[in-house]
Amino acid sequence: MRRRVLAALLAGALLPTGLAGCGIPDQTEVQVDGSGPAAEPGSYNGGGARPPTPADTSEPGPFIENYLKAAAAGEREQAYARAKDFLADAAKDDLRERKQSSEIELTVVRLRENLEVTPPNNDRTSTVTIKVQQIGVLQSDGTLAPPVASDTEYVFKLGPDPRNSSELRIYDLPNVLLTSDTALRGYYGLHTIYFWNAEQNRLVPDRRWLPLAVPGERRVTEVVRWLTKGPPDWLSPGVSKLPDGTQLINNATSSNGRWEVNLTMPGANDSWLAKLATQLAWSLPELTGQLDLKVRDQKRRTVDLKQERAEQPAFPAGGRPERFAVYEGAIHPLTLGEASGSVPVAAAKNRNVISAALSRSAGDQVLAALVVSRPDGRQVLRVGSGPDPVTVFNDSRDSYTAIGRPTWIRSLDPNHPGGLVVADGRLYRFDGAAGMVPVPLTVTGKVTAVAGSIEGHRVALVINGALHVAAVNVDGTTFSVGQPRRLFTRLSRLTAVDWIAENDLVCAGYEGNRPAIYQTTVDGILETPLERDIGAEVTQLAAYPGSVVGVLPSFTYMYEANKAAYKNNPVDIIKREQVKDVATPTAGKPAANPTAPFFYY
Amino acid sequence: MVTSPPPDSPTTARRLRAARALWRVVAGRAARLASGAHQAWRRSLQLRVVTITLVASSLLVGGFAYLIADKITNILLENAETDVLVRLRNGSEYASSQLKLYNQPQEAQLQDTVEGTVNYLAGGDPTQTSGVVVAITADNYAGVIQPRTSPDVEVRPLISEELRATVAGGKIAHQIRTGTLGGQRTKYLVYGSPVSTGFGQVELYYLVPLARQDATAADARATVVATGAALVLLLGLLAALVTRLVVTPVRVAARTAQRLSAGLLDQRMVVNGEDDLALLAASFNQMATNLQRQILRLEEMSRLQRRFTSDVSHELRTPLTTVRMAADLIFAERDEFDPAVARSAELLQAELDRFEELLTDLLEISRFDAGFAVLDSEPTDLVPVVHRVAERLAGLAERAGVAIELDVPDSPVIAEVDPRRVERVLRNLVGNAVEHGEAEPVRITLGMDQSAVAITVRDHGVGLKPGEEKLVFNRFWRADPSRARQTGGTGLGLSISLEDARLHGGWLEAWGAPGQGAQFRLTLPARAGDRLTTSPLRLVPADAALPFGGPRDGGALAIGPGSGAGALAIGPAVDGKAEVVS
Repeated sequence: MRRRVLAALLAGALLPTGLAGCGIPDQTEVQVDGSGPAAEPGSYNGGGARPPTPADTSEPGPFIENYLKAAAAGEREQAYARAKDFLADAAKDDLRERKQSSEIELTVVRLRENLEVTPPNNDRTSTVTIKVQQIGVLQSDGTLAPPVASDTEYVFKLGPDPRNSSELRIYDLPNVLLTSDTALRGYYGLHTIYFWNAEQNRLVPDRRWLPLAVPGERRVTEVVRWLTKGPPDWLSPGVSKLPDGTQLINNATSSNGRWEVNLTMPGANDSWLAKLATQLAWSLPELTGQLDLKVRDQKRRTVDLKQERAEQPAFPAGGRPERFAVYEGAIHPLTLGEASGSVPVAAAKNRNVISAALSRSAGDQVLAALVVSRPDGRQVLRVGSGPDPVTVFNDSRDSYTAIGRPTWIRSLDPNHPGGLVVADGRLYRFDGAAGMVPVPLTVTGKVTAVAGSIEGHRVALVINGALHVAAVNVDGTTFSVGQPRRLFTRLSRLTAVDWIAENDLVCAGYEGNRPAIYQTTVDGILETPLERDIGAEVTQLAAYPGSVVGVLPSFTYMYEANKAAYKNNPVDIIKREQVKDVATPTAGKPAANPTAPFFYY
Repeated sequence: MVTSPPPDSPTTARRLRAARALWRVVAGRAARLASGAHQAWRRSLQLRVVTITLVASSLLVGGFAYLIADKITNILLENAETDVLVRLRNGSEYASSQLKLYNQPQEAQLQDTVEGTVNYLAGGDPTQTSGVVVAITADNYAGVIQPRTSPDVEVRPLISEELRATVAGGKIAHQIRTGTLGGQRTKYLVYGSPVSTGFGQVELYYLVPLARQDATAADARATVVATGAALVLLLGLLAALVTRLVVTPVRVAARTAQRLSAGLLDQRMVVNGEDDLALLAASFNQMATNLQRQILRLEEMSRLQRRFTSDVSHELRTPLTTVRMAADLIFAERDEFDPAVARSAELLQAELDRFEELLTDLLEISRFDAGFAVLDSEPTDLVPVVHRVAERLAGLAERAGVAIELDVPDSPVIAEVDPRRVERVLRNLVGNAVEHGEAEPVRITLGMDQSAVAITVRDHGVGLKPGEEKLVFNRFWRADPSRARQTGGTGLGLSISLEDARLHGGWLEAWGAPGQGAQFRLTLPARAGDRLTTSPLRLVPADAALPFGGPRDGGALAIGPGSGAGALAIGPAVDGKAEVVS
């Protein structure tokens, strides 16, 4: 009886407790669900030499050289930290740090002369003066913006490190993060990425700098970020951007050689993705495997990068290059070891030629622009197009005192060809009927040379003796030239320019007072002297930028100086005998030299 | 420092008293309530059945409810865990693929990637509030890699040290924790997984709120509890109803039986329908009818018997009177007869006396049996009554050689009794004592207290065998049937005496032991109609030897295990120990 009552009470008490107790507990013990993924040993394939340290040298000159390298010697985000290692504590605040990674900009300078070092005085302090040429500002997206500062001289004051007197430290310095072009050459790599032109039928190359310290796996991410961010200002008129709001989600990743790029792309459609795939295939030349394009985690397109590059050329490569030169007022092929063709201009029109530009267009069309001299000594532009040989030509309505070598804009519709030419110091646009229209430029000054790039969306200009590049914006049948971007070269008083590679220019000018030919990148940072002991001013310069292999060695150019034509590989004068289809010179009469050499491709 | 007043201070004492009073009141109430409940429990079958049904069904339903609620909760939790585990594995894989690109924890964009990964895993938009919080921590690279959380909330308190240690040890683990992340306090399922990177290991955590699961579980629980409670109530109601169906006829039967037993023999149950209860009622009625018939028959028989006895006695009296007169005549003239006839006359006279007495007693008995006996009580001093009886029997006692001793108080002993009947009882008792006195003295003791008077009659004759104390009051009972009657006892004396005592509401008891004689005690209430509780005199005389010789004169006894299996040994206690030392 009593037990029953007890049991009843117990049950009554237990029931609510039990029911309340069977909910989701407030807290549980840690339960293990198994082992996590095993950590894989990382592979470090980032490159780049060891960053310089302040302890590397105690000589003021090399110390400053190392300092100029420090900012570039590694990942951009730690540029300030690396540079500040060289500073004395008191000076560290002088170098105002930018916190945001995107705000870190490196001022790139080129040392014009050797460092001037005042010898250390009694307290072992010394002053180092560097004379510089401002090249530009290396921005977070790897592009080089035009220089902001105009300083041509920077002064550093050095002294011993109070902590370790055997080491030097900088006590006074310019408050910009400086780096030199040689440092960039040593610690940065150049990458070519491609943007579609406005008509989405050609890829326009663009060059970007990336620290070698960034591992290979992350270069893909960087490239995709560059592509989504868009082209630099000077190039933007000629190219189209990805749709607004296109963003890379986190990093591009790879597994088993298969890359995966996850994007946000508002209104993504298949044609855009196809374009982006081609763009990526060309912008990532070192990758050969598959790449999955995902839009918000949805796999939308898989592209075999190698196959894509094979099937979708970035731009028409142009035909087999042939060398020509003007000899005795007529265009003649040159035989410099390679196979040479015939002149694609009817002989009737091939007279009084001063210089010429020939271009192969789609469907065996030949575009020919000749500068011919009239009997009155003035010059006109003669333009014709058609199948080889071109017989129909139009002469320009106006005549000019001097017309430079014309250049064809290769990106134009073959039915509405056009090109650029410099006449009397001004830039003109011409069409297939030799109608010449002045091209307005935002940079005033005398234009002396113009050269179109191989893909036809960039032109190199020499304005006021300085090298410029500009984008060409093709708009249906016509085109316009964008704002020229000045490149700061070691050469001054430039006389001629042409494209020697997809992203390289060859230009002729004066190094000091000596004529020289330099090859320079399209942003002007890397310069390579090609010829420095030319006796006379280079008046014409022609190069073959194409990539049709096996015909010409790369970086092949020809130039005209002192009324004679020269070639490189090896550098030699082009002799009269090497001009094809010319009558044997009559004896006694001095043999004229071929002039105005050019490539027909 | 706070000092409490000493416990014996007046306020404390007053308070203590008040508390005690309150306690007493409460305890009293509780005790009353408990006793009431206990009484209700004992009395009501319905209450018992309903209570037991409620308790049993509560236990059963509660058990099932617990199982179901537990199952539902477990399923919800398991689902959540499976979902989160899948998400975690995918997230870990994703984070690993993202972070594998970094070979140094110091790399510049690692922090951005950690943040981007967390945001991506949390659903891309850091401002949206799905409630899931994703965090990446790097316990091995504290200070180098900042932990990142999306949405940006403080998750440290929710990730316990044990979980962190387990996950940092390379295990996928989970835990439920309760905490506040921004909004209200919520239960979180915290899942952690190590993420392998190019430089080592970081940890990925998913904190998934269990609010929805909790609410669902609570809903399910509430439903189950409500259903269970309703079920239990329904069962209780059902039990009450069913019991009521059964108990009501039983109660009716009980009431009817009570009435029947109270003499209302014509009470019957109502028979409804043809079910078991109807059968019970019908059987009950049948039984009642049979009982009634039997009782009536027996009553009739008893009445006839009594009537017969009475009639026989009366009818015998008339011829007996005639015979008596004739016998008296013969007896008076016996000297004139020859000795044998004279002797016969004497025998006739004696037997006629006995016969007359027998008839008188039979008539008296039949009067008792017929319920015609009437008590004629009046305040009476019992001392003269005792003396009178002693005197009357003095002759007989003398003949038997028995001395009658009286132990009577000096003061009068007044009681409200019927003196005639009391005298008859005493005469009977003293007569018996003298008769069986074996020439030993007979002692009559009179005692009284506030409520009762008692008279004991002690003899020292053969005594009574055990069990004969009751039998002596039976009609015509003889201790030894073969023993010839020396005196003219009718065998009804003690029966009449017992009836007389009962008529007074008193007791008549006997004690006796073989060889120790016997003692009879008559106890009567001092006031007529009072209930007796005790007697002023002992039934067992003080000089009687107790069974087994009574308590010994020696010291204490001890008890302990005996020699045989299950046997107990009793012996003198040694050194005051209560156990027998064998």
